[in-house]
Amino acid sequence: MARGYLVLEDGTVYEGSLFGYRSSADGEVVFGTGMSGYQESLTDPSFRGQILVMTYPLAGDYGIVDGYSQSDRVHVRGLVVRENCTEPTDMYGGRTLDSFLKENKVPGISGIDTRDLVIKLRDSGSMKGAITDSDVPPEETLKKLKKMPLPMAGNLVGEVSCKEISVSDTGKDLTVGVIDCGTKSAIIDDLSSRFNVIVFPYDTPADVILEYRPHGLMVTNGPGNPSHKCILDTVVKTEKELASRLPMYGICFGSQTLALAMGASTYKMKFGHRGNNQPVKFEDRVYITSQNHGYAVDADSLEGTGLFANQINVNDGTVEGCRHRDLPIFSTQYHPEAKPGPADTLFLFDRFGKVMKEGRP
Amino acid sequence: MRKDFKKLMVIGSGPIVIGQAAEFDFSGSQACRALRAEGYKTVLANSNPATIQTDTDMADSVYIEPLNAETVAAIIEKEGVDGVLSGMGGQTALNICSELYDNGSLARLGCELVGTQPDAIAMSEDRELFKEAMERIGEPVPISRSVNSVTEAVEAANLIGSYPVLVRPAYTLGGTGGGVAYDEDELVDICARGLAYSRIHQVLIEESVLGWKELEYEVMRDSKDNCIIICEMENLDAMGIHTGESIVCAPLLTVSDRDHQRLRTAAIKVIRTLGIEGGCNVQFAFNPANGDYRLIEVNPRVSRSSALASKATGYPIARVATKIAVGYTLDEIPNDITGSTFAAFEPSIDYVVVKIPRWPFDKFRTVDRHLGTQMKSTGEVMSIGRTFEEALLKGLRSLEIGVRGLDPVDLTDEQIEEELGNATDIRIFAIGEALRKGWTVERIAKLTDWDRYFIIKIRNIVRMEERLRKNPGDRELIREAKEMGFADPVIAELMKTDELKFREERKANGDRSVYKMVDTCAAEFAAVTPYFYSTYGRSSETFRDENKKRVIVIGGGPIRIGQGIEFDYCCVHGVFALQEEDVDAVIINNNPETVSTDYDVSDRLYFEPLTLEDVLDIIEEEQADGVIVQFGGQTSVNLAVDLEKALKGTKTKVLGTSPDDMDVAEDRRRFSKLMDQLGILQPRSGTGYSFEEARIIASEIGYPVLVRPSYVLGGRAMEIVYSEDELRTYVETAVKVSRHHPILIDKYLTEAIEVDIDVLSDGEDVYIGGIMEHVEYAGCHSGDATMVMPPFTLSEKIINGIVEISEKVALALHIKGLMNLQLAVKDDEIYMIEANPRASRTVPFISKSTGVPLAKVATKIMLGKKLKDFGLSGYRSIDHFAVKASVFPFLKLPGVDSILTPEMKSTGEVMGIDEDFHTACYKALIAAGNKLPMSGGVYITVNDQDKPRILDAARGLKDMGFTIYATKGTSTYLRENGVDTTTVFKLDEKLKPNAIGLMRDGKINLIINTPAMKSGSRRDGYTMRRLAVELEIPFMTTVQGANIAVGAIRVGRREKLGVRSMKEFHVL
Repeated sequence: MARGYLVLEDGTVYEGSLFGYRSSADGEVVFGTGMSGYQESLTDPSFRGQILVMTYPLAGDYGIVDGYSQSDRVHVRGLVVRENCTEPTDMYGGRTLDSFLKENKVPGISGIDTRDLVIKLRDSGSMKGAITDSDVPPEETLKKLKKMPLPMAGNLVGEVSCKEISVSDTGKDLTVGVIDCGTKSAIIDDLSSRFNVIVFPYDTPADVILEYRPHGLMVTNGPGNPSHKCILDTVVKTEKELASRLPMYGICFGSQTLALAMGASTYKMKFGHRGNNQPVKFEDRVYITSQNHGYAVDADSLEGTGLFANQINVNDGTVEGCRHRDLPIFSTQYHPEAKPGPADTLFLFDRFGKVMKEGRP
Repeated sequence: MRKDFKKLMVIGSGPIVIGQAAEFDFSGSQACRALRAEGYKTVLANSNPATIQTDTDMADSVYIEPLNAETVAAIIEKEGVDGVLSGMGGQTALNICSELYDNGSLARLGCELVGTQPDAIAMSEDRELFKEAMERIGEPVPISRSVNSVTEAVEAANLIGSYPVLVRPAYTLGGTGGGVAYDEDELVDICARGLAYSRIHQVLIEESVLGWKELEYEVMRDSKDNCIIICEMENLDAMGIHTGESIVCAPLLTVSDRDHQRLRTAAIKVIRTLGIEGGCNVQFAFNPANGDYRLIEVNPRVSRSSALASKATGYPIARVATKIAVGYTLDEIPNDITGSTFAAFEPSIDYVVVKIPRWPFDKFRTVDRHLGTQMKSTGEVMSIGRTFEEALLKGLRSLEIGVRGLDPVDLTDEQIEEELGNATDIRIFAIGEALRKGWTVERIAKLTDWDRYFIIKIRNIVRMEERLRKNPGDRELIREAKEMGFADPVIAELMKTDELKFREERKANGDRSVYKMVDTCAAEFAAVTPYFYSTYGRSSETFRDENKKRVIVIGGGPIRIGQGIEFDYCCVHGVFALQEEDVDAVIINNNPETVSTDYDVSDRLYFEPLTLEDVLDIIEEEQADGVIVQFGGQTSVNLAVDLEKALKGTKTKVLGTSPDDMDVAEDRRRFSKLMDQLGILQPRSGTGYSFEEARIIASEIGYPVLVRPSYVLGGRAMEIVYSEDELRTYVETAVKVSRHHPILIDKYLTEAIEVDIDVLSDGEDVYIGGIMEHVEYAGCHSGDATMVMPPFTLSEKIINGIVEISEKVALALHIKGLMNLQLAVKDDEIYMIEANPRASRTVPFISKSTGVPLAKVATKIMLGKKLKDFGLSGYRSIDHFAVKASVFPFLKLPGVDSILTPEMKSTGEVMGIDEDFHTACYKALIAAGNKLPMSGGVYITVNDQDKPRILDAARGLKDMGFTIYATKGTSTYLRENGVDTTTVFKLDEKLKPNAIGLMRDGKINLIINTPAMKSGSRRDGYTMRRLAVELEIPFMTTVQGANIAVGAIRVGRREKLGVRSMKEFHVL
């Protein structure tokens, strides 16, 4: 098996075996703690620009399953695992992770002491890194990495949002407009089973959206920095303009942009939340949620915006969801649509329907 | 938190039995600690003295009393208990709580059930109610019907439409009495048995989901309806093999996130519907062909699986369940492991856990070894690795069954085929063998019903063996093999080199194990848990205070016959004592059920196999000052000599008695020589290298003799033979005698009284911890014998003699720490049977009886303290009686003879303690599960010598109104001596009435049968003994046993028994 390196911007070098597509990759190195759901994560557009480290040591055990992908391609730039399973169970057809990465032209590296790596990322924070072939000297890679801008310097949402408006009218009572910042297909699925759905590119102006007469607006997950200029000028601006006109629900990135639209601020977390086990306190109950974010809403900045944090992470106290005091606007930092992860908060889609119907939070 | 409670009670699970092992000492101890931390007064009841939870400092009041509703009610009343926790003592405690609730005792005493409530318990346990509840919420269960008779069972099977069907008795543990019926005849048989075992005489006839995957979820719920999953586990063995009998891994390895979430959601729906507050275990059958699932079972309490889940994830289920029971919610309970997060989260693990059961078939060679829905294993091991292969290989070498990994087994193709399709304990090895022979993965997967994924993993191991064999010395390959979990001795053998030499070279190449932390959160948060496992990787996470001394305590491994929870008790006490001396206590063990593997107990816990390699690696990682090998039973003693050799020239010392002196005690020849020097008598003995030699030695010594092979070959190991013919049969059928495998022959002392003594010594002084007299004559293994402390028949002269011998031997062996002696007394002479230079299984029993914590003192002696420092010397008796009775697995293991022999058969023990000898006996006997009759019929048949001696017992029973049935000889003798009897025929007379018929008719409630002194007659009684086991009729095989039983029955017939806490006994 071909050998390769994972090089971090702090100079740490891990040696391992390459799998998937033979190419080098660079990006922000982040870790996810889910023990299952690798296919959903790989195809989640929010991972755009990132190299994903799985804390769970075995990857690809149950193969790749039709219908599990969250978009039409793999968005992570590289995958780092302790072990890559070359012969999965045949319960789901037996298609391998390796072949999936090859088709998607994404490299993976295995045989890495991922726990050692994760502790480094946890202690030092997410950092830039690259996967390369073993014939590339790590010092060279390191030099490149140092000069390379972080992926979120670019307009990542622009890379993953849809290009055209699509309408799906299934004769439901309510119609939801979706601002697609890089949505997981599960969000669209959960909306479509309840509402008619119109999906808009992220940069669709408010007046265009209004022309379609939606009853409410969903702002989806997506990659990168919510306060990037390209987002402030598009998504955030639209949200601002529609805040008093449409009920709105923001998920993950959507929750951050909603907060920005209402005047709060966001910040980059040290290493983020990526996993299927994040506890969130909401209405005096604890829900286990699926998460994937590197930015968060600054709790202190909510003061005076009309929004307040009605959901809090039990572990670190970060903002997990907001509600507006007067307007029918709410948000969750986590993913109620799950996939991967627990579906304990799936009821929020029904609640969104209720908010749209009643026009109040 | 509930402020209205002042005093809360935890009920333990009683003796170790198949299906209920040390896990409830672990959960009960956690519960006690959690309650005390909240400021509640605590009361604990358990009949098992070999538990940490019965230590007087674990609860405010500790009762070692028989566990039944009556006793528990008496304790509640006496103590004024406000609430009882139902979920910490397994099925035993749950059943007692249900009974106390149902019969109104709890209401009468103003005591609440704390935690899961009676209706929730009933809904989970009563199969019909459970089924209704699941149907209400639309969760699928197998089609089934509860029945109360065999006829109804047959009707139910017809309704289901096809065989096989499963038979599951209600309210039993470990699936006792259940089974798979492939046709109507089998159904009738299994059902009859199952009905007898069920507390409510009910069994469930159920649609078969054989061959489906078996998946388990550990769920917690609090009073606010918050629900979380602690761990999900996948059984490698498909449905049809009890999860306690399956190899299990965590987390799920072959199930997709989508399917996992479906089951997770269902599990949460279930716990909500049942209204369980605390922990529960939900079992699913999952059809790999189409993704269908069925809910199989819910345990509304902590369980063996939850102990496993706690150790597998680091999440303390029992402690959190206890806090939930007293009113906390999950988001209020801190996560001690991280110190910064809360109990309201789902653990994420970044390793693979494998659990493998440990079966007792090495001891019960006649038992049917096939695995099914009834548990036969006595214990289990758990292992942790970064890959499945690594975890599996570590698990296999933890079993202590003489394998170092996936060792080859010698099987023909036919045998492999049979083994794969019809599993016994060796199936995993048969899979390895099939792969070595080139069988395809598909074929093996089909035969075993295993997912091919796991077969491929095993194939990876087999392929590595081949590569190692072909490439001796290949450094990269060695690294790869170590990462895969291969043990040094395996690689060394494949590469044809010596283990220790290989080890040195490997280390020189930088291939050393590293230690990762079990932290519940996959390293997302910095954790402070001192809980580690080994792997081969880049970095270690161990930490230590360099200013403190570090001592490693080697644990006892899996629970099996002969090595029970007693040794874990000693290890934990060793840890406590080290900490009291301000020494860092490090424990190595691999048994997930135990208190010793609770990460809270030691300063650092290494969850690892207990082989020389694994232990040495940890010693090096720790740079330990000392290692204690006296507490882990034979597991750790066996390591002593090799450890000392390997540690020569390092700072690490084997503490306590030197391994060389230990070897003197273990080595027959060296020990005999020492006894001769000390002038201590031993039964005559010799070693025969052929039948002829054995014959000559036996005739010189005189029959009966005790024979055993020096090498066990699947035959019987140890036996008493009464004649040359029997010796010939033994040699021909049971053992292989040769130059290399001699047989050992000892004079068997007939009708000798056996005595167990545990002593402490510091090399200068000796303290006799206790002298225990066996009720049964010598020849019954001391682990099985009923024992009484202090001795109840021995003269003062004999006791002085015993003390003198004990002191002599302890000093001659330079014991520093504990030693156990077994002596026999015959005709006023004292004989040495054996000396064990380590903590014995009676250490906790004595410690509880006397109040002197022997294992703790031993530890401090090993650190350099003297007996003088504790004011201990010589021998002092106690002013009450403590009786140890054993518990046997005969009911669960069809085909095993219940007669007691030199081979140990019991799984656990109980203690009866009282000022009155007979009361102590009564308590011990009923605590051990004997159904002593208070009236009815007794069957007496004794050998000629015993006829005069049984007279007292017979008269006593007659006086109490028992009907006495006896065979002709015994009957005549008793009548001649004024005891009226009914004569019955012997079985071979084929006439009625005979004992078997009377037993079946319920006319015989107690049997006294002393066999004649030849093996043949012992075998004759087999049918009767086996029936007695199945009908649960107490069976006494010695006159002393009979007398004890009669005395106990007399006690039992008196009005009411008092309960007394351990503090109320005068201790030394």
